[in-house]
Amino acid sequence: MDTQTAAVLAAGFSMAIGSIAPAIAIGNLVGKAVEGMARQPEASGQIQTAMFIGTAFAEAIALYALVIAFLLIFVA
Amino acid sequence: MEAEQELEVLEHFHLNSLVDIRLGWFDISITNLVVWMFVGAALFLLIFYLLVIRPKLYPSKRQTVAEMLVEFLKRNMIYNMMGKKNGEKWFPFVSAVFIFILSNNLVGIIPGAYTPTSNPIVPLTLALIVFFTVQIANLRSGGIRGYARTFAPRAVPSWMYVLVTPIEIVSAIAKPFSLFIRLTVNMLAGHTIIFVILGLIIYFKNYLIAIAAVPFAVVMTILEIVVSAIQAYIFGILTAMYIGEAVNPKH
Repeated sequence: MDTQTAAVLAAGFSMAIGSIAPAIAIGNLVGKAVEGMARQPEASGQIQTAMFIGTAFAEAIALYALVIAFLLIFVA
Repeated sequence: MEAEQELEVLEHFHLNSLVDIRLGWFDISITNLVVWMFVGAALFLLIFYLLVIRPKLYPSKRQTVAEMLVEFLKRNMIYNMMGKKNGEKWFPFVSAVFIFILSNNLVGIIPGAYTPTSNPIVPLTLALIVFFTVQIANLRSGGIRGYARTFAPRAVPSWMYVLVTPIEIVSAIAKPFSLFIRLTVNMLAGHTIIFVILGLIIYFKNYLIAIAAVPFAVVMTILEIVVSAIQAYIFGILTAMYIGEAVNPKH
């Protein structure tokens, strides 16, 4: 297996495994946010704001894996 | 095997220099990135100007839209994170960052355009600006001792300083880095998916692929509009949060 093949394979694995945890995190986060909004609709605005910020943090972790995948495909 | 033409799917991401201007080492030629940055700024200025022309005390409907934008920036983004007094001071900076990133992201929806924020340099510059702003605001608000205290918060018992201080130092560097990476990869990934899916039509040399590819590309473009707005909002609100941490009086 030469370098190019190994790099592309590693890129595929990196993105696949690296998306499991952020997906679970975002799912939990939005679930709890919706639950909170259902309990107290007056706090909807603040809960929505906090949900977006939390989603951005969780998504950034998945994007770190994507950066590694890009690096592996295009530079190795 | 027949001769295949060279298929460069990601050619929209190439920077073409339109007017070469070099000053010694600095290469400030006008590339298509610069052109689309100016187009984005000009479009936003034009739309905002048309919204606020001839202001009245009882606002008309279009003036209300501009007021809603400013109100949203002030209330949700800045006063929430920084309090009223600091909010007045930092409002121009944070809203300039937000509007700049929003207009640069949205300009990429135009077919054939180059999204300026998809090139790593533009978000890197913005993240560096935010990093230095936060550190200098920290220094100015606390002096040298206050600055050293942010890496060693008072609420921590003394024996944990050896653990907490490296974590705080790394997090001070990691926060702007994550801002930069989040913005650039979100913009890069969205457009890459659209180009690759539409490039499949050319790769297979068959128009039947278009029946599946074009609706998918439409949906991805709509998602791209939403992601552009959300990422600009996230950058703005995180900037306001970091500056708020630095500027508010510490316990």
